[in-house]
Order: sequence, then C-alpha cells, then structure tokens
Amino acid sequence: MMAAVTSAPARLRTPRAVRAVPLSAARLLRLELRRSVMPWILPLIAALFWFDSYRPSTGTAALYGLRTFWNMGQGHTIIDFGPFVAGAAAWMGSRDGRRDMADLVTATAWPRWTVQLATWAATAVWAVAAYLVFVAVMFAVYARQGVAGTPPWWWVAAGAAAVAAFSAAGFAVGAYWPSRFAAPVAAFGGFLAMALSSRTGFSHTTGWAQILPTNSNGNFDGSAQANAGIFYPWTPDLPVARIMFLAGIAVAALGLTGLPARSGGRRLRCAAAVVALAGVASAWTAVDLASTARLTTHGMVIPALHDAANDVPIRYTPACGRAGTVPVCVNPAYRSWLPDLTAALAPMLAETAGLPGAPARAAQFAAPYPSNNGALGEPVTLGGQPLVLRLSLGLLNMPGSCRLCVGPAVQKGFAGQIKLLFAHAFVDAGARPGSPAQQAVQAALEDTAGVPFADQTMLLTMTGTPWWGQPALLALTNGSESGNGPGPLAGPVYAAARRFAALTPAARHAWLSAHLAALRAGQLTLKELP
Amino acid sequence: MNVEISDVTRRFGRTQAVAGVSLETGPGVFGLLGPNGAGKTTLLRMMATVIPPSSGRVRLLGRDPGEYGPRREIRRRLGYLPQSLGYYPGFTVAEFVEYFALLKEMPPAQVPQAVAAAIERVDLGGRARAKLRTLSGGMLRRVGIAQAIVNEPDLLLLDEPTSGLDPEQRVAFRALLRDLGERATVIVSTHLVEDVGAACSDVALMEAGKIVFHGTPDELIAHGEGTGAAGDAPLERGYSAVLAAARSARAAA
Amino acid sequence: MTTAGLNRAVAESTPPPAAAAWRHRLAAGCQLARLYLVSRRVPTALALLAGLGSLLWAALHWHWTIVGGAAVRQFIPLTIETGAAAVIAVTTYGPFGEPERAAGRWLPWLRLSAAVALIAIAFGALAAGATPGGLPGGTLALLRNLGGMAGIGLLAAAALGGAFAWTGPMAFLLITEGALAHRATTPWVWPTRLPSDRGGAICACLVIAAGLLLTTVRGPRESGRESGPAS
Repeated sequence: MMAAVTSAPARLRTPRAVRAVPLSAARLLRLELRRSVMPWILPLIAALFWFDSYRPSTGTAALYGLRTFWNMGQGHTIIDFGPFVAGAAAWMGSRDGRRDMADLVTATAWPRWTVQLATWAATAVWAVAAYLVFVAVMFAVYARQGVAGTPPWWWVAAGAAAVAAFSAAGFAVGAYWPSRFAAPVAAFGGFLAMALSSRTGFSHTTGWAQILPTNSNGNFDGSAQANAGIFYPWTPDLPVARIMFLAGIAVAALGLTGLPARSGGRRLRCAAAVVALAGVASAWTAVDLASTARLTTHGMVIPALHDAANDVPIRYTPACGRAGTVPVCVNPAYRSWLPDLTAALAPMLAETAGLPGAPARAAQFAAPYPSNNGALGEPVTLGGQPLVLRLSLGLLNMPGSCRLCVGPAVQKGFAGQIKLLFAHAFVDAGARPGSPAQQAVQAALEDTAGVPFADQTMLLTMTGTPWWGQPALLALTNGSESGNGPGPLAGPVYAAARRFAALTPAARHAWLSAHLAALRAGQLTLKELP
Repeated sequence: MNVEISDVTRRFGRTQAVAGVSLETGPGVFGLLGPNGAGKTTLLRMMATVIPPSSGRVRLLGRDPGEYGPRREIRRRLGYLPQSLGYYPGFTVAEFVEYFALLKEMPPAQVPQAVAAAIERVDLGGRARAKLRTLSGGMLRRVGIAQAIVNEPDLLLLDEPTSGLDPEQRVAFRALLRDLGERATVIVSTHLVEDVGAACSDVALMEAGKIVFHGTPDELIAHGEGTGAAGDAPLERGYSAVLAAARSARAAA
Repeated sequence: MTTAGLNRAVAESTPPPAAAAWRHRLAAGCQLARLYLVSRRVPTALALLAGLGSLLWAALHWHWTIVGGAAVRQFIPLTIETGAAAVIAVTTYGPFGEPERAAGRWLPWLRLSAAVALIAIAFGALAAGATPGGLPGGTLALLRNLGGMAGIGLLAAAALGGAFAWTGPMAFLLITEGALAHRATTPWVWPTRLPSDRGGAICACLVIAAGLLLTTVRGPRESGRESGPAS
C-alpha cells in the first residue's frame, strides 16, 4: 500500500544560483563506480597479469631494464589489460541501448553525452587504477627480490594511457553498437591491434613505428636495457610521445560518442566533434614526433621533446671490492655480482701485474650506444692514465637466471667470458679478432687463468662477446689474416698458445714486458712467440 | 498552462503516429485514453522532449523545448515514466532513484531526502537496498514511478503507470495522482478507463493519431448513454461509443 | 473478441493424412529452429564469421606475420580463430529466461545443434579464408584450435553467462601466446603442439565435448535473476 498522501513532504526547491554540478558529478561517478562491470573482470586480468607479465620476468637478472623488457618494453602489461578492458567498456557503453534506457536518460537535464562520459569515467578509473595497482605490486615484489636500478616510471605512465585508450575505444564501440557482440568484437579488436603492433614493431626499428606500444627497439634492448635507470635516467621522450598518441586515441573515441543526434544539443555535438578532431590531431602529432626519434648516446631521443636535463648521468656511490691488489668498482645495481667479477678478474690481473698494459683499477662504465644495429660495443676495454679496465657489464649476461638465454648464465661461463674479454683488451686486438700472434697470447692468458683451450671456443659465441667472436661473422671476412678467428684447436694459433702457456710465469712475464708493445701493434707473427 | 500543444504531427517514415493534435492543460490530472497504436506513447514522448515533433508547436512549462536552454529547464522540472521501463539490474532501488535525481540536477544536498521520500511514497521503503533484479514486475513499476516523482516535477508524464500493480496498489496510486495533480500537471496515458475515471479531471481520447474526444469523464460517459456501445461500465461504453463514431467518420471520409 | 466460433472449429477438425502431418512437423521444426537462431542473433554472428574469414584471407595474402620463429608466426591467425570462438560463445546467450527453459524438450537439442552448426560454419569460413596458403599448421590445426577454443567459450558461457563467455577464449589466447613465447608444450595448450599431435587433439576434443555437454544440458548461466557480471 502506498503511503498516505497527507504525509507527503513539502516541495524541495532551492535557488538555481546555487549550482552544485561538481558534487552531482561526483555522486554520479560514485554510483557508476559502485555498479561498474569492470571489477568483475579484474580477477581474470590479475591471473593473466601474473602469468604473462610477472612470471616470465622472474627468469631474468635482477635489473629493472631486464625485468621489464618483456612486460613494459614489449607491452605485455598492456596486452594483459587492453583487450579485456575494451570488451568490458564496450559492455558498459552499450548498456543504455541494451536496457531500453535511452529514452529515460534522454529525458533528463543532463545531456546524454555527459551521462555517457560519467559511465566511461567510472570504467576507466577502475581499469587504470587496477593497472597501476598491479604494476605497483609487481615492482614491490621486485624490490623485495633486490632488483636494482630505477623503475621505468614513464613506461608505466604510457601503459596507463594505453589502458585508458582501450577503455575509450571499447566504450565507443558499445555506444554505437548496443549488441551482445560489441564486447567480443571490441576485445578481439584490441588483441588484433596489439598483434599488428608487435608485427610492425619487430620489423620496423625506426620511424613512426616507434609509437606502437609493443615496440621495444632502442628503448629496452642492448645498451638501453643496460644503462637506463642505472647510469642514465630513463629517457622520457618516446613514452611522452606514446602518451600523446594514446591520449589522442582516447579523446577521439570519446568525442565520437557525442556525435549522434540524441547525445545532446547542437552546440554540445559540435563540441564533441571538436574534441574528436583534437584527439586525432594529438595522435597525428605524436606519430610525427616519433618519426623524428633517433638512437643517441642517451637512448631514444625526440628532438622536439628532449630535455637535456635527462642526459645527466645518475650520481651514485660505487660498490667496490678487490681482485688481488687491484680495486674493482661497479655501479651499486651490480653489487650482487661483485664477488663473481673480482673472482674472475683476479687470476688475469695477477698474470699481468707489473706489465706496461696492466690496469691500476677496474671500473664499470655505461654500455656504449647505439646498440641495436647488430654491432655490440666492446664490453671490456683498457684506457686512460693511469690505465683503467673499463667494464660495460650491461652488455653481458650476469650469472644467474637469464630468460633470454638458452640456459641460465652460470658463474663458470661468466668468469670465462670476463677472462676472454680482458685478455682480448690486454693484447689490444680492439674491435677485430686480432693477429694470429695476438690470438695465441690471448688464448694462452686465458688458459693460465683457468679456462682450458677446449672451453675457449664456446666463450667466443656467448651473448655479449662482440662480433669478432662470432664464427658466422668470421666466415664473412675476406681473407685478411686479421679477419680470421683462432681456427681449430689443432691449428697453428692454438699450438703457439700451448707453447706460450707452457712457459713459467716468470718467463711469460719477461717476454711480455719486452714484446707487449709490438704485440699490441700487430707486428709480431706466430713464429716470434716463444 | 503547463502544456500547450498546437497542431503537432509526428511521422516515422511513412507512418504518421500523431496527426495534428492540439492540447492545452494546466495543473491537474489529465487522462490520455486510446487503443493500442493510437499515438498516445508518441505524444507522450514528444512532451517528454525525447523526440521532436515533425511539425506544429509545443510549449511546456511556458518554454519552447526546441531550444537547448529551455529544454534543459523543462527536463529539470519533468518526471517521465515510459511504457517500457528499462533498468540496470545491478542497481538497488535507492541507487536507481538517486541516479535520476542527480541527472535531473536536483540540489545534491537534498537528493538523499528526496530519494527516501519518493521511495516511501511508492511503499518500497523496506526494499530500498534491494537489487532491481530481485523485484517483481509491479515493484519495478513502482520504482519507475519513484524516479519520476523524486524531483517533485511540475509536469509528470506517466505511460501505463499501473501495469503490474495489484488492485490495492492501483487505488493508492490514484490517490497519489490526485495529490500530485494539486500542484503539477499530470498526464496519464493508459487504456484502463477505470484509472482515468477515478483520478482524472480531464480526459482526451486518441484514435489513429488524432484526438477524437476532449472533456471530462462525465462528458465521456454521456457519449455512451443510450448508444448500445460495448462495455461493462459507463466509462467503457462512452469510450467505445466515441471510438466507434470516430472510426465511422474516418471510414466515410 | 468472443468464444463464439471456437467450439465449432474444434468439432470440425480431423486428423490430417500422415504425409501432411509429417510436412507440418517439418515446417514447424524449421520455424522453431529459425526463431531460435534469430533470438540468438545468429545472422549477425554469421556475418561476423564471414568477416573473420575475410580478415584471415587478408592476413595470409599480405603476410601479416610476426617475425621471431614458427611459434610466434601463429599469433595473428590464432587471434582470428579466437575471435570466431568468442562470437560462437556469445550466441549462447538467450533473452527469454525461465519461460524458455520451462517450455518443453526441444531446447537442449536446439542449443546443441546451433553450437555444432556454428562451429562448422566458422571452420568453413576460416578454411575459405586460408586459401592463400601459409596458415601455420594448415586446416587440421585450424579445426583443432577453433574447436577447442569454442569449447572453452561454451564452458565460459556455462560459468559466466553467454554475454561474458567471450572472456574464456580471449584468456586462452593470452595463455597460448605466453606458452608459444616461452616454448611450453603442454597438450592442454594445444596450439603449441604440432597439428598431427595426438595429445593436443585429445585435449581439444575433451574440452569441446565438455563444452557441448554443459551447453546442451544446462545452457548458459542466466544473468537476469542471478548475481553475476552482467549489468
């Protein structure tokens, strides 16, 4: 029974001058947040996020550049969220149409477009907040695991922008097509977009394709991976361009939802058209900017967006140890590998102590840019006065798990590689395999430092060893003696190496003292080795 | 006058749903009768500013709904219950009414009280927190009425408001209409003549897009006396007689 | 409306000849099937499946592949197959609720027939789209992948309701992508296995059998009167 009519309350009316639009909007948003469908889909996204973004990253070394290569660099956090967010947003966008609510909502004072924007906003808030929370939890776990370096915050922001863009695009699909198929079509479109993005990103390393969310070229590979967040700040140029691009897509999609006749008055629909065009302009500008991106000594730079302040190296207090009497210092992000490094360097430094080319200390330096043109820089070099052994450890697989390797990088392999690279730098072969005499001395030094000749071939092909160690590339060189590798174990280079290694340490030391300069200049032949 | 409609038509493609209707009404309860397909819902949708007329002039609450500003003001003071009420199953009763209170730009500070009052007036106070998907059809209809009256509208448009209500609720609903009609213009579109007879001071009968009768319920009853028209009650006979006359006139034309 | 002529009409009816009765039953059956399919928006689904077939043709004709090995090259065709499975899953949603469930014995057969027919049509559309050649694994893999994913969609419909059943195949696609990238080869992620692999085929068949069984017997979860994700 309905309440007695005499108990009806007095009319409620206040002057229009007191407008409380923001408060009404906030309450409307609160209603939509409470009743959004997005929270229902988050458990599924969480499970997929753990499986696809977090779990694969735990197999990499404890550096942010490596840990986030798959999930941030190749956009897997976006792949985990985007299509499902698009589908759920399409469901919400089609709500009025599916529920026969269009007339009822149209007959209220708020323009329909504004009401739709409130519905979308709630959807986007859930999606973006969940994304940020999931990434924050992942980074918190990384921190507990001792992952070193600085998190790629700009890439996190780009991911959040991508999630918002997917939600807007999906919402527009649902608003225009209030059908049961809107959600799966929007989700499918999201997956297809990411697949095509991966396809383009893997085959286009420059130009406009840099704008694509799954394109990791120049940002998360090679030297960039090693240095960003450790020696230099993460360069924000490209993520800023991507945020512009994705925000433009989101704005354009939302503007499109305001175009139909029922969305509101003519002025409002004109405003919606302007908004849509502004979004397109933003996205277009971002693509143009990305086309100007180039790989520099500080990462991927877009001149129009670049701030020189981001080129300033990160100040740090090095972590130091000793390899024998020689101090060895590394970036604190590599602190956990200092014992492995000093253990590997100690026999080589002991063998070369007192010689003209012996380093006074060893220190880690940033890996050289650019690095995605197939030519790796030299991980170990000797230079400066007094001589410093310069280590670009970022180019090497550090001991431990290594998702991108065939198997984990073991300490023995790492130690052998360090010894190889030291010996190569010591004989000053540079960016070449070296003369046969240099190769023989290099092999002998490795052998005396604990790397038998039979194991040395494998070291030549390890990840991080520059091209002079790659047999395939060696096969391409054209006949000059210095272009060839050491050859087979039974060949003349290793025969000379065995003879040299068989000398007493004092004899080797004395010979090197007398002949090191000529050896380094490439003036000696195999016959001139003892 | 809260409603001034002058020679309004509305076409959907080749179909003329409303064919030259003129109507003026002020505060009170106004009944809109007619068979299915007569154009009642289309007329009501035009008054609810959901669709514009194809031709003619409409003024609501002294304003022209064709302009954005006046239309917005009308909608703030409008309550509308469509024939087919869509709803979001996940919303509670209170949330659904609050949703429309906010969309009608009610002062936010007054929304909670207004929502509670509207829900109480339709006797759903005990179900304020129930999800809509758990309600019966009649309860859903009452929720629809609640959202229509939450802003104390000056113009209340109700399309088949009593469908699904039991007889006791229909009696109470008619009392509610009379109360609302003391301050506002209430237009009730229905094909249940007893609802019109009990609550309305003024009645129009539509047939084939036109108004074929406009007067008081007593005048409608008078049309049916002595004609032998079909119907179990005087109003029904008056209704049938007017319709029959209108159809004959149309056939002759 | 009166009852004046009703009794006379009943009294005058006589049983039709057997052949005519059979024709009437056949016509009624066809009409029932047509109305069922229309209520599930199958015509729109067919258009979408045709569109996906065209998309597959374009992908193969213009070599839309992701470089990085045979496994990763599957990803775009797999995405298209997943789209087809999602469309099939969403057609299970019925708008009628309890009156339909209480109406008689034909509903389970209608559900089963519709699901099987849609899977067959989807396979045909995608197989036609694969005519440029180069579909990883060929039509055998297509049949296995599509059937298995449709089965996942049907299971998702039973759990979440027809409207949200698309999340099942989409989630499986993401799991498959991860498995392909990390070279996992469990038969439960059958797209990672060779087309002739028996384990993968068995797992896919089990999933589709389970999906068809649940869909036939229980139908999709009703969202109208139960708590769930549908809004």
